[in-house]
Amino acid sequence: MTIKTELIDSLAVAEKEFKILSRRKGVIIPLLLFPLVMMIFFGYGMGGTLKDAPFLIVNSDTGQASSSLIQEVGSYTPKYDSYPMFSVTYSKDMSQSEAESKINAGVYKGALIIPPDFSDNIAKNQSTTLTLLTDSSDITASENIINTIKQLLTTTGLLKITGLVSLNVPNIYGNLEYLDFLTPGIIALTIFFGSVMTTGAAIAEEKESGTLVRMLMTPISKRSVILGKTFYQLILELAKAVILILVAYFLVGFRINGSWLLVALVLVLFTLGGVGVGIILSAKAESMESFDQLAMLVTMPSMFLTGVFFPLSSAPVWMQCLARCVPLTYAIDAMRTIMVKGQNLNAISTDLIILTLFAIVTFTLGVHLFRREA
Amino acid sequence: MEPIIEVKNLVKTFDSRGKKITAVNDVSFTVFKGEIFGMIGPNGAGKSTTFSMLTTLTKPTSGNIKVSGLDVGKQDDRIRPIIGIVPQKLSLYPLLTARENLKFMGKLYNIPKKVMEERIDYYLRLVGLEDSADRFTEGFSGGMKQRLSVICAVMHDPQILFWDEPSTGLDPQTRQAIWKLARKFNEDGKTLIFTTHYMEEAENICDRVAVMNLGKMVALDNPEVLKETSGSLNLEQVFMHFTGEGVCN
Ligand SMILES: Nc1ncnc2c1ncn2[C@@H]1O[C@H](COP(=O)(O)OP(=O)(O)O)[C@@H](O)[C@H]1O
Ligand SMILES: [Mg+2]
Repeated sequence: MTIKTELIDSLAVAEKEFKILSRRKGVIIPLLLFPLVMMIFFGYGMGGTLKDAPFLIVNSDTGQASSSLIQEVGSYTPKYDSYPMFSVTYSKDMSQSEAESKINAGVYKGALIIPPDFSDNIAKNQSTTLTLLTDSSDITASENIINTIKQLLTTTGLLKITGLVSLNVPNIYGNLEYLDFLTPGIIALTIFFGSVMTTGAAIAEEKESGTLVRMLMTPISKRSVILGKTFYQLILELAKAVILILVAYFLVGFRINGSWLLVALVLVLFTLGGVGVGIILSAKAESMESFDQLAMLVTMPSMFLTGVFFPLSSAPVWMQCLARCVPLTYAIDAMRTIMVKGQNLNAISTDLIILTLFAIVTFTLGVHLFRREA
Repeated sequence: MEPIIEVKNLVKTFDSRGKKITAVNDVSFTVFKGEIFGMIGPNGAGKSTTFSMLTTLTKPTSGNIKVSGLDVGKQDDRIRPIIGIVPQKLSLYPLLTARENLKFMGKLYNIPKKVMEERIDYYLRLVGLEDSADRFTEGFSGGMKQRLSVICAVMHDPQILFWDEPSTGLDPQTRQAIWKLARKFNEDGKTLIFTTHYMEEAENICDRVAVMNLGKMVALDNPEVLKETSGSLNLEQVFMHFTGEGVCN
């Protein structure tokens, strides 16, 4: 046998593979789509700038210096953008803790607090301190804001040049790193993938092997079958979450600032929704293989849309809109609000309502579609 | 004779990629309590589909079925506990042992633990699987799977046993063992309904035989009578007599 014939043989094999692939449309779409999606979304997400970020200026000072600073902040437009970076709300006489609570609630991305004697002190050549609060659970936005304010203080000649003004940036959530930001998102993502894939695949497999029919011809109701699988899934996913949290703790000292119970509540609701999606997909899929493809199609976009790897605030507006349609977004938001910001039930009430709806809708539909029929 | 299954004008059509398939076409028959009832017919004749409907698994397109006086479709919850089904596809969990598979079935039927354990031991011995009780079924031969599959179906001591193709793909010795088992269940008082495409088996074991072809039940009677009416020497010829035309077309 010569190299030539071997080559021809291998080409024939390759051709056959392509032929088969071209007939499996379900595989081609994700195959082509995912690298593209990844490139686009990571590209935009990581390199994004801040637009129209809600920003609070608390100013109790009526002097010249503060008003020129306020003007600079309000009209600041980043180099490559046509939109101002901040959408400013002005306030007088608000305490730092009040401003902090607004940031906690997600109303503002940051707040600049100007002391009442700011202009006076500058006029008298005395030193004074500005306080800048940022939502440091949103790392990109936070860094962006800090850098911009520093830059503006420099250009208005207030920082360094006079040597009188210093900027105090308290870290309201402690020292945060990318991993603090990433961990809650990764947990939510893992739970979503896990619950959709494992439940769905298990049902699809039992359907294919016939064990599902065998189970369903006994007096057991289909609800019990589903419930049994759900319990199993809940335990599995919660255990996974605990392991992930522990790993993050031992590796980088990741801590949950809020309540473990709330974390569990979010995860339980979200797992239920995921299980529902898994059941729906397995009911629609004829075989194991077609289930895998369907599941990919449903889970993958969530991963790139929802700001697991980068803050949504730095993503383009169209992407933020899409993200609002994906339940994972709300799970991630709730997880970050509890785990990083250490907030209570109130701060995640919207997220919880949406996640509850998600669970109810998918679960009801799943039970409805799940057939006893062989 | 007391009827235990009554089927009237049973029809099942499937929609397969826009094409309508009539799997079961206006079938009516009665099975009597305590008999061994065989359904023979080529692949695709509609035997398994009929079974699915009789056992509450598939909704008929039209027609009526009564099992032990209960309406299929309306009283499924009461029917399921009194029937046992051995599906054509030997669906066992490959990564459970034989005993675990049986236990799982027993639990679904809510059999008390003690009774269940006694039955498991009894049945495993009856079918000669006691030495493989704690092996994963993944490595079982076809005959072993068939034997385990049938005792999975009788764990709850059903009145009626549906057995879809008990002997397909098995060697003659194993087939002998399977039929012996079938007779044993019948002697224990169970009504037995099975399908096959081996005529001589139907002839040897059945009280009555129904011949199915292309969704229709083309004949139903005692094997002896069937041979007489078609003027044939054995069921093989009876079968050809009743289905020959259909197969040729
Ligand atoms: N779920 C289904 N969807 C579409 N067609 C089906 C389905 N189940 C069975 N059929 C068709 O119905 C016919 C009868 O099948 P079946 O009852 O399995 O026959 P048998 O058991 O006698 O071999 C066949 O043509 C088969 O392809
Ligand atoms: Mg069949």
